[in-house]
Parts: sequence; C-alpha cells; structure tokens
Amino acid sequence: MNNPLVQPDPGLYIWTIVTFLVLVALLAKFAWRPLLEALEARQESIRKSLDDARQAKQELERLHAESAQILATARAEAETIMSRTRADADRFREELKQKARAEAGGIVRNAEQQIQLETSRALQQIRQEAVDISVAIASKLLQRNVSKEDNERLIEETFAQLETTHRPS
Amino acid sequence: MFQPSPEAAQVHAEAGHAAAEGAAEGFNAGTVIIEHVSNSSLEHPLIHLPKVLGIDFSVTKHVFMLWLVAAILFFGITWVVRRYIRQERLIPRGFMGVLEIGVEFIRDSIVLPNVGQKWVKTWTPLLLTLFLFILGANLIGLIPIFDVLALLNHTVIHAPEDSFFAQMLHGGVTATGNFNVTAALATVTFFTIIVAGSRAHGFVKHWTNMIPSGMPWPLYILLIPIEVMGMFIRPFALTMRLAANMTGGHIAILAILSFVFIFNDMIGSLGATGIGLVFSVPLAVGISGLEVIVVLVQAYVFTLLTAVFVGMAIHAHH
Repeated sequence: MNNPLVQPDPGLYIWTIVTFLVLVALLAKFAWRPLLEALEARQESIRKSLDDARQAKQELERLHAESAQILATARAEAETIMSRTRADADRFREELKQKARAEAGGIVRNAEQQIQLETSRALQQIRQEAVDISVAIASKLLQRNVSKEDNERLIEETFAQLETTHRPS
Repeated sequence: MFQPSPEAAQVHAEAGHAAAEGAAEGFNAGTVIIEHVSNSSLEHPLIHLPKVLGIDFSVTKHVFMLWLVAAILFFGITWVVRRYIRQERLIPRGFMGVLEIGVEFIRDSIVLPNVGQKWVKTWTPLLLTLFLFILGANLIGLIPIFDVLALLNHTVIHAPEDSFFAQMLHGGVTATGNFNVTAALATVTFFTIIVAGSRAHGFVKHWTNMIPSGMPWPLYILLIPIEVMGMFIRPFALTMRLAANMTGGHIAILAILSFVFIFNDMIGSLGATGIGLVFSVPLAVGISGLEVIVVLVQAYVFTLLTAVFVGMAIHAHH
C-alpha cells in the first residue's frame, strides 16, 4: 500500500461527503429551489400566454363571423327596403298618373260640355236675333204689318227648310 | 494534470524536477507521473488538523480542490440565479441561458424519465449538484493553474518548501481521480438509493422490494446474496469508473510528455525538443481534447446511473 494512487484516505473520504452534502444543501436552498420554481413559473406563464392567445384568436374569429353575419343581414334588409321603396314609388307614380289622367279627362269633358252648352245658347240667340231682324226687314219691305205670329211662323218654316238642307256639323 | 502547450509542458517538467527527490540521478517518469496524479501526502498537508478516532482530517490538496470547486459552484450558480430572478421579466441571458439548458437537460432527460413525475422535485437538486460537482472537479483538473504557479515559484518567487504556497504545488489537481473521493460520492449514491426506496415504499418494504416474491424458497438462498452483492457492486463500479477514467487520461498525457525528458537524458536537449514539437505536444493536445469529452461523459454517466438506481428503488414492482 505504498503506491499513493491506491492509498486509502478516510479523512479525504469523509471530507468529500461533508463537502458534497453541504454543497447540496446550500445550492438546493439558494439556487436550485428558486431556479426550478422560476422555470416552472415561466413555463406556466408561457402556457397561459399561448392559451390566452388562442382564446383571443377564437374570440376574434367569432366576432369576425358575427360581424359578417350582421353585415349580410343589414345588406339583405337594405335590399328589401330598397325594392319595397321602389315598388311603392312605382305604384305611387302610377296612381298619380292615373289620377292626373282622370282629372284631365274630367276637365276636358267639362270644357266640351261647357262649349256645347255655350254653342247651343249662342245658336239660340243668333236664331232669335235673326228672326227679329228678318221680321223687321220683311215688315219694312211689305210696308204692312204682318202679324207677328204670322211672321214667326213663316220664318220658322224657312229655318226648318234651311236646317234640313244645311245641317251644321 | 495535463499541459496543452509546450510552455506548460516545461512547467510540468520543472515542477516534477523540483518535487522528485532523485532529480540529480536523472528523470524518473514513474515518480513524476504518480506525483502529478495522486493526492499530496498526509505527512505534508496544506493544513494540519488533529486526528479524530484515528482518522487524519488534515486538509490535503484534493480536499482543497473539492472546496475550491464547491465554492466556485456555489457562488457562481447562486450569483447567476439571483441575478436572473431579480429581473422583472424572466428572460434568460448570458450564463443563465447556459445554466438553464444544463438544468433542464438534467431534470428532463436524466431525472424525470428515471424517477418519474412524482419524485422529480425531490431528487433534481441532489442530482444537479452531483453532476456539476463531478464535472467541476473533473474540469478543474484540465486547467494547469498550479503548473504555472510552480514555474513562477521555480523562477521568481522561491517560496520556502514548507510554506502553504509551496505545499499547494504538490500533488494532483483532479480530485475525482482519487478513488477515496469517488468512493465518497458513490456512498452518497448508495444511501440516496436507500432513502429514495424508503420514502417511496417505507423502510421495510424497500428491502423486501429488492427480491422478487413468489419464488420457491431454495431460489432465495441464491437470490438474496446476489441482490446484496449487487447493492454494493453498483457504487463500487461507480467509484472505479470515475476514478480510473480521470486518472487514466492524465497518466496518458503525462507519459507522452515524459518522452521529452526521457529523450533529453538520452540524446540531449535538441533532439528532445524535436521529439516534443513533433510528437509529444500534438498528441498531448489531441488527448486533452478527448479528455474534455471524457470529463463530460463521466459526470453524465455517474449522474445518470445514480438516477437509474434511484428510479429502480422507487419503481420496484415485485
């Protein structure tokens, strides 16, 4: 046992165990426990962040879909409103046109009636005037006074004759 | 110790010569190599301490190296972790990034698959410390600090031989190359297995778990001794694997560098320098590169096997 390579050395043996155990205790207390806890906490926080990100993404997608749906509904509604309005406007215009046409027709008819009335009244007047003038002329010519009734009958006959030949259109 | 450069090789030789008693009789490779891989002798410790129950507790070079590694690890890691946690937003930067990769590797690739989700928090601190302690002790042996100091002592300082500084220059740096150290670490593993099994199943159940039940009784005459042997062989294998690997690499490097001095005695300094430049130094550099890998792998293997044994004690299904 003279070779120092294989010299048993109980002092060194015990020193090694003591040194190692003290180092384990110190490192465990001051380094490993805080470090492992920090690593675990970080792992947890990374996992949480990733979960949060995924959740946010899902939420965003949901909101996106929702907004798209709302937009589509709004668009469809606008379409309906537009078409209804257009139909309403068409109907209204048609109605207005109809009403205007009817009114115009009424006015025209009224005017025609008025004209006819005025015309016949004027004719009547003219006829009366003519009779009077004719009577006056005739009595002047004959120098005698034909009774008014005779004259009127005579003129009536003349007009009747005239009317059968020249009927006013 | 190893020397990655010709300067360091020179240093190493100087230190060797200064230490070797028979320096005048020429270069003795064996003495120098043993001096550089073994602990400093208990007759000349760094700090004398009284014997307790016949055990000499004097602080030798390897005890000192273990304390140095423990101090570097404790202050370094605590500093990095404290600085990281003080940040408002927990973004790993610089050393913390490296530490975090290491911690997560040990926790998720070594501890978790072996001991299971339930016991991860219990055993991760121990296994992390075990890995970093072994790795630190292995790595510090690759750095020729004391050889540089020896050269300075030899040329400039000339400290008295019995001073603390001069005593520090004796002995190997790699504490994990000493089987007393690795045996101590394996003892920790040994008791960790028992504690882990007892906490998972109760003290008595842990021992009965080790032997499969429901066998014909004559088999137990065979099985019980085998299991008891296995219980001790596992830590013994851990002890020997780590110590031998750490010592072996250093011996190889030292032996290759010793050629320079052997040839110096045989064919003169010019030829020896040629041998050193062409053969010894390139080969020593190559083996040193290999040593970096070995250092990592051995720390990993020790930790992994400890985790596997602890996991076996926890998940005993008999």
